[in-house]
Amino acid sequence: MGVAPAKVVFTTGFARRYTGGEREFAIDAATLRGVIKEMDRRFPGLGTTLEEETTVAIDGAMHEVGYFQKLAPGAEVFFIPKIEGG
Amino acid sequence: MDDQVNVAEARKGFKWVGTSPVRPDGVPKVTGRAMYGADMKMPGTLVGKILRSPHAHARIVSIDTSRAAALPGVRAVITAADFPEQNFEYIGPERVAVNFWHVTRNIMAREKALYEGHAVAAVAAISDSVAAAACALIDVQYEVLPHVIDVDAAMAPDAPLLFADMITRGVEPAPTRPSNVSKRLEFKIGDLDTGFAAADVVIEHEFKTATVHQAYIEPHACSARIEADGQGEIWASSQGHFAVRALTAKLMGMPVGDLRVYPAEIGGGFGGKTVVYLEPVAAMLSKKSGFPVRLAMSREEVFRATGPTSGASMWVKIGVTKDGKLVAADGVFKFQAGAFPGSPVMNACLCAFAPYDIANARAVGYDVVCNRPKAAAYRAPGSPISAFAVESVLDMLAKKIGMDPLELRLKNAARIGTPTIFGPKHAHNGYPETVQALLDHPGYRAPLGKNQGRGAASGYWFNGGGESSATMQVNADGTVLVATGSPDIGGSRASMAIMAAETLGVDYKQVRAIVADTGSVGYTHVTGGSRVTFATGTAVVDATKTIIKDLCRRAAMIWDVDPEAVVWEDGHARPAGANAGAFPPLSLKDIAAKAAQTGGSITAAASVNAGGQAPGFSTQFCDVEVDPETGKVTILRFVAAQDVGRAIHPAYVEGQIQGGVVQGIGWALNEEYIYNARGLLDNPGFLDYRCPVASDLPMIEAVLVEVPNPAHPYGAKGVGEVNICPPMAAIANAIENAIGRRLTELPMSPPKVLAAIDGPDAGAGA
Repeated sequence: MGVAPAKVVFTTGFARRYTGGEREFAIDAATLRGVIKEMDRRFPGLGTTLEEETTVAIDGAMHEVGYFQKLAPGAEVFFIPKIEGG
Repeated sequence: MDDQVNVAEARKGFKWVGTSPVRPDGVPKVTGRAMYGADMKMPGTLVGKILRSPHAHARIVSIDTSRAAALPGVRAVITAADFPEQNFEYIGPERVAVNFWHVTRNIMAREKALYEGHAVAAVAAISDSVAAAACALIDVQYEVLPHVIDVDAAMAPDAPLLFADMITRGVEPAPTRPSNVSKRLEFKIGDLDTGFAAADVVIEHEFKTATVHQAYIEPHACSARIEADGQGEIWASSQGHFAVRALTAKLMGMPVGDLRVYPAEIGGGFGGKTVVYLEPVAAMLSKKSGFPVRLAMSREEVFRATGPTSGASMWVKIGVTKDGKLVAADGVFKFQAGAFPGSPVMNACLCAFAPYDIANARAVGYDVVCNRPKAAAYRAPGSPISAFAVESVLDMLAKKIGMDPLELRLKNAARIGTPTIFGPKHAHNGYPETVQALLDHPGYRAPLGKNQGRGAASGYWFNGGGESSATMQVNADGTVLVATGSPDIGGSRASMAIMAAETLGVDYKQVRAIVADTGSVGYTHVTGGSRVTFATGTAVVDATKTIIKDLCRRAAMIWDVDPEAVVWEDGHARPAGANAGAFPPLSLKDIAAKAAQTGGSITAAASVNAGGQAPGFSTQFCDVEVDPETGKVTILRFVAAQDVGRAIHPAYVEGQIQGGVVQGIGWALNEEYIYNARGLLDNPGFLDYRCPVASDLPMIEAVLVEVPNPAHPYGAKGVGEVNICPPMAAIANAIENAIGRRLTELPMSPPKVLAAIDGPDAGAGA
């Protein structure tokens, strides 16, 4: 990669449950797949949780979690609980 | 997806986007020939009927169905024992997590009946009268238990427990004693103590909202046919036939691939038809009887047994400086979940302060079970409830510091880069534009008369994206069929046809849009979350681009040139330039006529997981007049500004805004579930559960603010939900300005308003 890593952030509650309270991570990844893969390597099983339980905000823009999402250098990747509508 | 066809950039002006052509579903609806959920009739269809609990909370000691089963004309009797047991586990994301142990018990009670109207058994018979007689012959022995209806009462330490083993999730360490609190949530940003210390004025208040129903006109109804080989079909009106298929298959214990679901027309949903009630019951009755079975709810059943949105008890505290800077906000939101966990309290927490730039904020939520029907989604689920509290306190603060309430909102409006309480920064504008639109509206400064008041409020909703599919086919005469998996509730067939026609460059009347069944189009999420125009629209545009590429390829074959030598302009294939040759343009019809010679049917399919949706912001003001003799509130004027991105079909967009506002007026002034001392619903019908009708209302003026979303081919944003968020506070604020009393409990019905007028300081806030 060699460029600014993505800043990956979890909510406090999510971090408490899955990452021992650690909320922020710097991850070298060009796509969301890379982020998920690396988080799963650090916390086995977390990848599935991220895919199934979260919506992701990439630089503020909301997306369902998809491997294909591209990340700009230094992107902020915020995993938040999934939302439903009426 | 073909990036070579960039519609938004290619077309300077739009021909169809932004127009309001006649709706394609209009004629069958106004002539009464549209097929709704109850209209499907197959030969040999049996009538299904459900026996429901007469108690709010009771242990089911025994169910004897033998006399019912023996009644001539009865073909099947079922209870919960006919459905497979489900594991106790929360599957999927936290807010939308589904625990099928709960779901199967909501479909048919097992150990206990948890609310009046809870299904306990069902029959299929040859007629209504036989089915009713059979239900009367089912002997259910109950042990009636103490019940709890109110959310605060349900949280009390000595409250009757719905589940003896429910331990509150989200609390560490986990409580050792069970309670009715299913879950606690907390979202926080900044430092509250520092924030409130910087405030010149701090106001806090408690609020209550009532349980309200979506009040769709069409009651739930479906038909099901399960064949002897295990395969089945369901016809139902719903907000998502793929969801009906998935849920029914799971509850029946059958493979998804064995079930095909056909979407009927839908007479309103507003979130309430994103779940199943009847479909698994009809399917099980059909499986057991060997005949098709039709089930349809009465209006009373709709009220007693389907999900309204939560009533809530809330506390909100906000601090502001003298010059109008919001510096801290705190809120506690306690939501009724109904008989099973799963209120929209998380959304309430996330949306409560979202329109504002507040550096220090916290929202705490509680999901609380009680002896009511399980809550279901209702238009921006959760957000209107917390907005009532937050927007009321903002009005009190504006008054206290002598600032115009819209100016206060504008000064603190969230913009691109503003942090949210849930973490990410806002990525879209749109909110301040709605506030400014009302500040510029001539009505906002118009004089008021005696007993009249004006109030304003705002709201926020996420809007949705996600999975959608579309297929497109060009017919032999050059007409076009667009099929999607999104049930049409708010006019999506028209907007899909508009986007396809715009992209293709053909006449709107050439394009027919339909809603296809689960066997005929790719998976598509429910029509909910204001997602269809954005996500399904993106799929339609993607499919259209693929068709265009194919049309150019076929034109090249006809002209015997390279495909690169063909461009698509204004609904025709044309030579790309002088070097490509001198050929007359080929229309869609011309190319369709050569379909066989150029490779067969001209079709395309597209599936997306659409992301980058922009949130919805709405700001509204209203003028009211309060009758001091009766307490009746009359709405004199209502103006609703909403950021819609770009209105694909403006008349439908206005309709969405007007509909959301009217529902909000109902929440504000009249609608509520009224339970008696036995925990039974006393007003399960439209005579006593009073929705606003046309004669109650002025013309709702919709102001379409267009801040396009670059993530959509035409800039669309979801428009269906955020409009219901501001009305309750806007009306409360207007009433306060009319009578000098702050009402903090919904509905603000005449008795409450009169009590506020007559009381010494009844409910006064600031």
